Amino acid sequence: MAHVSDFLKPSDLQRISNLQVLARQVVEGFTSGLHRSPHKGYSVEFKQHRQYVPGDEIRRLDWRVFARSDRYYIREYEEETNLRSTLILDRSGSMNYAGTSAGGVTKYEYATKLAACLAYMMVHQADGVGLTTFDTQIRRHIPPRSRVSHLRVILDELEKGQPGGETDLGDVFHDLEAKLHRRGLLIIISDCFGEVANFIKALAHFRHARHEILVFQIWDRDELEFPFKSWTQFDCLEQEGVKHLLDPVMLRQAYLENLANFRDSLTRGCRRHNIDLVPFCTDEPYANGLAAYMTRRLGRR
Amino acid sequence: MNFLNIAMLGGVLAGSIPLIIHLFHKSRFKVVKWGAMHLLTAVLRTNQKRIKIEQWILLAIRCAIPILLALMMARPMWQGAASLLGNRPTSTAVLLDNSYSMEAGRAGTSNFSLARDETQRLVGELKRGSEAYVFLMGEGTGLLDESTRDISRVTQALDKVGSGYGVARVPAALEFVAGTLGKMTEGTRQVVMLTDFQRLSFPASEDKAFGQAVDNLKKLPVPPTLTLWDVGVEVKENVAVDSLDFSKLMVGVGQKVQIRANIRNYGETARNDFRVKLKVDGRDKATSQVLLGAKAQSQVLFTHVFDTAGSHVVEIETEDDAVKADNSYLASIAVRDKLPVLLVDGAPGATPDDLKSETGFAQIALSPFAAGKVEQADLIQATVVTAEALTARQITDSAVVVLANVAKLGDAQLQALELFVQQGGGLLVFSGDRTDAAWWNGAFGKLAPLPLGSMAGDLKEGAPSMSLTSQRFENPALEIFNDPQNGTLSDVAIKAWYRLKPSERSGGPEDPVVLARLDSGDPFLVEKPCGEGHVIACATTLDAEWSNLPARPSYLPLIQRLCVYLASNIYPRRNLQVGEQLVGFLPVASAGKTAVLTLPDTSTLEVPVVKKGERGVVEFPQTRRPGLYTLLPAGGTPIHYVVNAERSESNLAKLSTAEITTLAKTHGLQLVRNAAEFKALDKVQRYGHELWKWALLLLLLLLFGELILQQKFARGKGKS
Repeated sequence: MAHVSDFLKPSDLQRISNLQVLARQVVEGFTSGLHRSPHKGYSVEFKQHRQYVPGDEIRRLDWRVFARSDRYYIREYEEETNLRSTLILDRSGSMNYAGTSAGGVTKYEYATKLAACLAYMMVHQADGVGLTTFDTQIRRHIPPRSRVSHLRVILDELEKGQPGGETDLGDVFHDLEAKLHRRGLLIIISDCFGEVANFIKALAHFRHARHEILVFQIWDRDELEFPFKSWTQFDCLEQEGVKHLLDPVMLRQAYLENLANFRDSLTRGCRRHNIDLVPFCTDEPYANGLAAYMTRRLGRR
Repeated sequence: MNFLNIAMLGGVLAGSIPLIIHLFHKSRFKVVKWGAMHLLTAVLRTNQKRIKIEQWILLAIRCAIPILLALMMARPMWQGAASLLGNRPTSTAVLLDNSYSMEAGRAGTSNFSLARDETQRLVGELKRGSEAYVFLMGEGTGLLDESTRDISRVTQALDKVGSGYGVARVPAALEFVAGTLGKMTEGTRQVVMLTDFQRLSFPASEDKAFGQAVDNLKKLPVPPTLTLWDVGVEVKENVAVDSLDFSKLMVGVGQKVQIRANIRNYGETARNDFRVKLKVDGRDKATSQVLLGAKAQSQVLFTHVFDTAGSHVVEIETEDDAVKADNSYLASIAVRDKLPVLLVDGAPGATPDDLKSETGFAQIALSPFAAGKVEQADLIQATVVTAEALTARQITDSAVVVLANVAKLGDAQLQALELFVQQGGGLLVFSGDRTDAAWWNGAFGKLAPLPLGSMAGDLKEGAPSMSLTSQRFENPALEIFNDPQNGTLSDVAIKAWYRLKPSERSGGPEDPVVLARLDSGDPFLVEKPCGEGHVIACATTLDAEWSNLPARPSYLPLIQRLCVYLASNIYPRRNLQVGEQLVGFLPVASAGKTAVLTLPDTSTLEVPVVKKGERGVVEFPQTRRPGLYTLLPAGGTPIHYVVNAERSESNLAKLSTAEITTLAKTHGLQLVRNAAEFKALDKVQRYGHELWKWALLLLLLLLFGELILQQKFARGKGKS
């Protein structure tokens, strides 16, 4: 049975606890600031009085106010909403890349740690967290729960999975949408490789269902800088048998331009749908990236 | 293409190193399991073709760099089509200017000695087995008769070559060399002309001929390379004895002879008190001083009396200057103590000295001292023979033959007479009552100056007579009558004469000239050149039968002058121009023996005496060197010949540098000015141009090009 310490080192946990305060505020931003819960009901936390209008439940009348003022007021309470967030983890072959500068850490490993960290934080602030893993199709879907024991389920799943196969985010997200009954926060942890238009379209779909979306894009330094010098054979991680032997020096510039185009169109697509696209690079500690993002996010509020 | 360091050519193999490196890299590739394949594939799809081409270009450049480096170190030479003959023997023709202008130069060394040394070195440095031929332009002949592979023979012969010859005829020299080159056998040929570029040798008028000669050389089956070598320095100061004039008439012992020298200053500084010396037979006789302005001409007059008969040499000598050859001018003068005149009498009297005979008056007029029994000696020795007794030997032994009223001569006699006149003898013909007009106009026609027409005048007592027209006489024989003090011909009364039919042709050198006319307009004295000799015909008689001429005071000078004039024609000529054949007539007795000929350089030569007709004849055609030639027959007295070169050579003016360059450019010739330049040119011609500088440049270009291209290619177009 997996434990948090399998994914997060004590030093990481230390840093996460520091993040906790930040995270709390961020999540509040999601829950109360930006997306106020539409469900109003009974709760301990009083919110406001409002005049009775015909059709209101009579049982919600505040008789004490009526006694004092002879007027009908309805007493309203804030719902104690739990944030329902779902971690959507890409388990496709391309996530299995481990560059030289990352010290042998694959993008997938990095992504699982990031997911574990997020799940840990969510559960510890009593928010519901779920996990969905996918490659060409959805491999596992764990609906969000806020119990502490639920964290273990998620960690187990993170530990079990191994990446492989191709990615087609568009189709997968379409399937996923049906499984998410209630709207909430979707955190997509992926390299987002594939057709940009499809991907954006799928995200738009989520947005349409009024989900809040965060995309944590995982990069390896090699993918960003293409630092290869000598003749290299590039074997495709997703498709067996696809390989190219080439002199990377000759291609570097064209590659980088292509990369910039790719990132640009992705960024523009996300911005269009009010989606935060947060790049992570496997040679940087994810806590740093996370902290930086959260700070930025808070600043924006 | 040739390589000086052929071993380095092996380095070309280094050209495969980049290829090997390329293949090595390609085979030792890394394998990367790559995730972002969709990014790479798009790039590959659009750039693969371009990258492949770029890789090939870069690989080609990288391979070219070591190849070029190796080529450069092998020192390539470009020879054009001249093939790989660098070290092979050549056929070399050198045109060496030894005209006397080449004597000028810096103090101590003449331009000629410089040119000769260079020629010696040039020939000496020819590759083994080369053929060489040296043509001496001043002499107009080859140093050796033909080209030779024995180079030492050429260099030894060059040691003995001197300058001081006449004008260099460049086109002719080139034509000659073209002929010789045609007979040479080596595949690589060169013609080198060493000259001082004297303006005289390259006149504008000969430019066409020069071009033609150069073209002929270039049209040879194996065309030679042509190099002009401008030798030595230009010297401007030069004074030359331009020419020498002396009396055209025969010189007798004791007679005063006027010798006039023309001195010309070619320089730009005036010469005051310029000393001019007269030398006779090598001994100083007189000195005179003249004033010579810059580029001016002056005359010096000397008179001299020869006291011995025979051949004498007169020399005018001036002060020393840059060019020695033109500081003196020689002339050979034959001085006679006797002039044998043969009088052929057509109407002899009872005794030889009978005044009634046809030649009686003439004999007295020619030898007055002998006739007057005076002890003084006559210059002219007159002998009288009858026409019938005339022999060929008598004709040959005399200087002038006078035919007086001779009806006709036998064929043998006429033949001997014709030969005599052809070889320079003088013939004086007087008509008379016995003259056979048919013979005159027939067999004698070749010698007769004009055909004989009808007789005119009347011999009757009291009949009117005809006199001679007063005129100015141009002929040296009649010149003295231009001065009335010497007597006049106009008081001569002529009663009868033959009409000499005027010739239709006149003015040419071979045409008859009327020396004197009668008042009627008929010719009185007519002269015609005939071979080397002259014939003068008179329309009337030699005696007093048809005129009163013998009774006039002018008779004696007239007859004597006519004979001296006809005898003045010294033949064979002794003052020759360069290249003319030297001929000597010796007594027939010396035929079959040899005579000694001393040449201007004091070397001697034995020449054979050949019998021709009634004479012994010596012939020497090689009079290329100007100067004094002395012919000494066995047991005889020396005969002097003087060969003179054209004095225009004294004008040392040189073509300007620009003109020389233009000349070379116009005709496509190489031009060098010193040995170093020639060596450099020769190296280029022999081995070609060294190309390593160009190779280095190309190498650097390739190196930079490779860098730039690599940068550019790596940057790529980036369209994906």
